[in-house]
Amino acid sequence: MNDELQKKVAEAIRDPKNVGEMADADSVGTVGNSECGEMLRLWVKYREQDGEKVIDKASFQSFGCETAIAVASLATELIQGKTAAEAMEMKPEELSGELGPLPPMKIHCAELVQGALRDALSPESQALSQAESPAKPDGLAPTLRDSLNEGQAKSGSINIQFLDE
Amino acid sequence: MSETITGDSPMQAVLQVFPGAQRALFRKYHIGGCSSCGFQPEETLAGVCERNGDLPVAGVLEQIRQSHEEDARILIEPSDLAKRRDNGADVRVVDIRSREEFEAVHIDGSQLLTQDLMQEILGSWDNDQLFVIVDHQGNKSLDAAAYYLGHGMPNVHALRGGIDAWSLEVDSAVRRYTLN
Repeated sequence: MNDELQKKVAEAIRDPKNVGEMADADSVGTVGNSECGEMLRLWVKYREQDGEKVIDKASFQSFGCETAIAVASLATELIQGKTAAEAMEMKPEELSGELGPLPPMKIHCAELVQGALRDALSPESQALSQAESPAKPDGLAPTLRDSLNEGQAKSGSINIQFLDE
Repeated sequence: MSETITGDSPMQAVLQVFPGAQRALFRKYHIGGCSSCGFQPEETLAGVCERNGDLPVAGVLEQIRQSHEEDARILIEPSDLAKRRDNGADVRVVDIRSREEFEAVHIDGSQLLTQDLMQEILGSWDNDQLFVIVDHQGNKSLDAAAYYLGHGMPNVHALRGGIDAWSLEVDSAVRRYTLN
């Protein structure tokens, strides 16, 4: 990753926009390569504008690398005001916006965002069940998040021995 | 000892000197996350760089070093945490151990991490909230803190040495334990 891109990614990471689950979302899209511990989930809320349904706001949660978070942050800003069709036509290089062209090894980060976006905007996703638990990633291989979950995962199968006994 | 690490060093030596190297490599280069992007312990750093887009070894090594220093900045000493709490600082303590361990011993006022709390932290805590991740002996808390850092929460720390160090250095009433 060149210095300029690294700087822009670092800036985006310092203050990522639109992070977190959206409780009143109209649709949700998920894409991930659980083998590599990458997963991205994106929520979309629509509004009516001039007789058209356009994207009012979008939010995301990422369990991937910094570049994926940076691209998702930019993309959720860029798609506001667009129709689903317009947003679905956006290419990975457009979604990465001001980050500029990504090096080959980082293009998959933008493709990850594009995949989540297309999943969220596809007609099947629009009947989102609020009962769904969209923030829970299934089947992730060892990741940073696994360190968070490890304690919960161990519950029920441990034996504590106090050292002063 | 870090000066001894070069491109010819096997990855197991790199990880020994820089325990956070795998975290740094994955974060920046998507290396070491799983079997398909992982590396062999005997593989050299230069070899890993070569088969991952011919990355510059010096740059990767520098990234690992910087991340190592960044890890050190994330850590908070038990005595420092105790002092901040004594001074009334708004610092929350999040315990990522199992429920059994938490119920056996925990730091006063700490919260056990659950799925609900995990979402609450990301969804409703102030991004600038100061909080400290606690595990048993400090092996997992850096990863956990890095997770929240990656989600735009800059004031997260990991308790150096975990609750075990807290017991040894701050509050001996918190009983030490091992897991069988």
